[in-house]
Amino acid sequence: MKRHQILFLALPAVLLGAAASAQALRTPWGDPDLQGKWSNATLTPLQRPAELKDKEFFTEEEAKAYVRQRIAATSGDANIEQDRSAGNVGSYNDAWMDRGNDIVPTRRTSLIVEPANGRVPPFTAAAQSEHERNLAHAAAHPADTPDDRYLTERCIVFGGGPAPMLPEPYNNNYYIVQTPDEVAIMAELNHEVRIIPIDGRPHLPAGVRQWTGDSRGRWEGDTLVVETTNQIPHRHFYGVQMLDSVMSDEFRVVERFTRTGPEQIRYRATVHDPVFTAPWTVEIFMHPQAGDLVEFACHEGNYGLRGILSATREEERRAEGGR
Amino acid sequence: MTIRNVCRATLVALGSTWLLSAAPVGAHHAFSTEFDAKQPITLRGTITRVEWINPHAWIHLDVPGDNGAVEKWMIEAGSPNTLVRRGMTRDSIPPGIEVVVFGYRHRNGSNAANGRDVTLPDGKQLFITSPGTGAPASE
Amino acid sequence: MTRSTLVLLTLGALLAVNPHAQSSSTTDIPRLANGKPNLSGVWQAFTTANWNVLTHGASAGPPKYGALLATPPGYGIVDGDAIPYLPAAADQQRRNYESRFEDDPEVKCYMPGVPRANYMPYPLQIFHSDADLLVAYQFAGAARIVNLGAPQPSAIDSWMGISNARWDGDTLVVEVAGFNGLAWLDRAGNHASAALKVVERYTLAGADAIDYSATLEDPQTFSRPWTMRFRLLRNPDAKAHLMEFKCVPFTEELLYGDLYKQPRE
Repeated sequence: MKRHQILFLALPAVLLGAAASAQALRTPWGDPDLQGKWSNATLTPLQRPAELKDKEFFTEEEAKAYVRQRIAATSGDANIEQDRSAGNVGSYNDAWMDRGNDIVPTRRTSLIVEPANGRVPPFTAAAQSEHERNLAHAAAHPADTPDDRYLTERCIVFGGGPAPMLPEPYNNNYYIVQTPDEVAIMAELNHEVRIIPIDGRPHLPAGVRQWTGDSRGRWEGDTLVVETTNQIPHRHFYGVQMLDSVMSDEFRVVERFTRTGPEQIRYRATVHDPVFTAPWTVEIFMHPQAGDLVEFACHEGNYGLRGILSATREEERRAEGGR
Repeated sequence: MTIRNVCRATLVALGSTWLLSAAPVGAHHAFSTEFDAKQPITLRGTITRVEWINPHAWIHLDVPGDNGAVEKWMIEAGSPNTLVRRGMTRDSIPPGIEVVVFGYRHRNGSNAANGRDVTLPDGKQLFITSPGTGAPASE
Repeated sequence: MTRSTLVLLTLGALLAVNPHAQSSSTTDIPRLANGKPNLSGVWQAFTTANWNVLTHGASAGPPKYGALLATPPGYGIVDGDAIPYLPAAADQQRRNYESRFEDDPEVKCYMPGVPRANYMPYPLQIFHSDADLLVAYQFAGAARIVNLGAPQPSAIDSWMGISNARWDGDTLVVEVAGFNGLAWLDRAGNHASAALKVVERYTLAGADAIDYSATLEDPQTFSRPWTMRFRLLRNPDAKAHLMEFKCVPFTEELLYGDLYKQPRE
């Protein structure tokens, strides 16, 4: 049989296969199916490293080299001896971690896709001043009260819980379940359940603020579009990956979830906040998570916050001339 | 008493802490506010219990002091959830195991430290995987 | 008309006006596409069990708060209205009761465990898909995944346990184990250990109610298994969903105030 004849025979099978899998990726009531256990662990950094300058995508060869380099650089196991001899405390051994095994399938050099330089846009001048004041405050008052500490150390909110869902170094696992009226996304970190009504009901009143904001979704074709508002503004808001950051009352995130294949959800999120000179958008690809979500009871086991406060008090006592 | 292996040939080593200056994606825990990089410490003792909890697991050690008295220490480790997915259970490290812990002392002066490495007396590291993928070592 | 015809016509008429004659409740409960009862929705327990799972009269709270933190009266939810404690466990419950305003994990915004999460006076929301159920609780944002697939063992202890479920007709039977023994069963200091196993049963009673029961078995605490039962009612507002009740920040001064730069005792 000639090659083009084989192709003709194969084509309907391919189309049938594609149609069948698209069908399989729908809920019983016909919405696209995002359900299941997913991970967004990835080796791609949030921002394009400065040394890559204008390079938006890696070639296949560069990608392989970069993956090897990222794994080696962030590995806790590979660097034990050199860390110790250099006086570095190093990082957790790899067995505890879940930094991902690969970069994003697009081979982009950053999770940020807009602006074009792959980096978070600068603050406005006013926001930059506020940012510098926050840094100065944090330096002068590292731990007067828990309010001076990061929201993760207080077990209030972790990355992945609120929008935008950004990866952490471990436990990057999510469980998505849908009903005709709502989508629920449970993040493993801090057992966060984000409930997203999709039946057109309005947001909470503007005066009601939540640490994970208030999310509302709708289907646009095969994409779930989710808008999140009503966030409690806070200078240690982890979700934007910027410690000692600046957030305004108008912080708003628009996310887009698309089931792009049996083993992939494409996730895009745009952060809108007038503290930045422009909105910024990330793109991450979620992949199936093999294991189960394990309970992350953070506040219940939080020796660390007591440790941070007691350590700071102890250092202050010593600085004042001993006990 | 033996340690039940997490995953066949995989022995798991307790690692430590954040490199705060690198502040990688997700530096959720400011190491330097709680532990002192300038106070490394090596402890040899017997594990009395492990709290497999979040946000950090804690290993409790009985450490014999110079005069025969026993000091109680607690060693901070990572979140156990990834280990659980690799097969670890509450019985994986039964009490009575003798270990050597290298870590950094707690700044509050108590008998606490952030655990960097935990080895058995014969030198085998606990909780170590092959460097590279972060996936369990295949045997 | 022959007699048999009349009988047939009558039966036909009866069936036509009463579809329930075919089976007891197949048509008046919501169902998933796979035919199983659909437990999705916002539910809340109609009971005072969070104060005390046994029948109790009103009693005082901390004096400073007057009636605000007093315990309201209520009927209990326990079969036989008694908990079969072993003697040491009964002593422990009495000690818990004496220090309940300090030692109840609810004070610290700790996750309430199972079954208590289901009868706290706050809503819970069930997201029911074919493969699992996600149960989200408003208090402390507690949550649990109820696994309908192959049973999952509990590897390490947890506050909310590991939940494995199967269908028994139209009743969802959930076996929960792997607890850490730290949660209380109510504000009166009723308690169990890490050996606790709970078997829950969820049965829709019409479209807007779930008949719930939980059988608790813990040989370290109780001399025999015992059962509680109550009703969960659906929130009549179709637009209802859980709001965020992150109580952790409200407990910080209590838990860490002694370590503040300006200490608050």
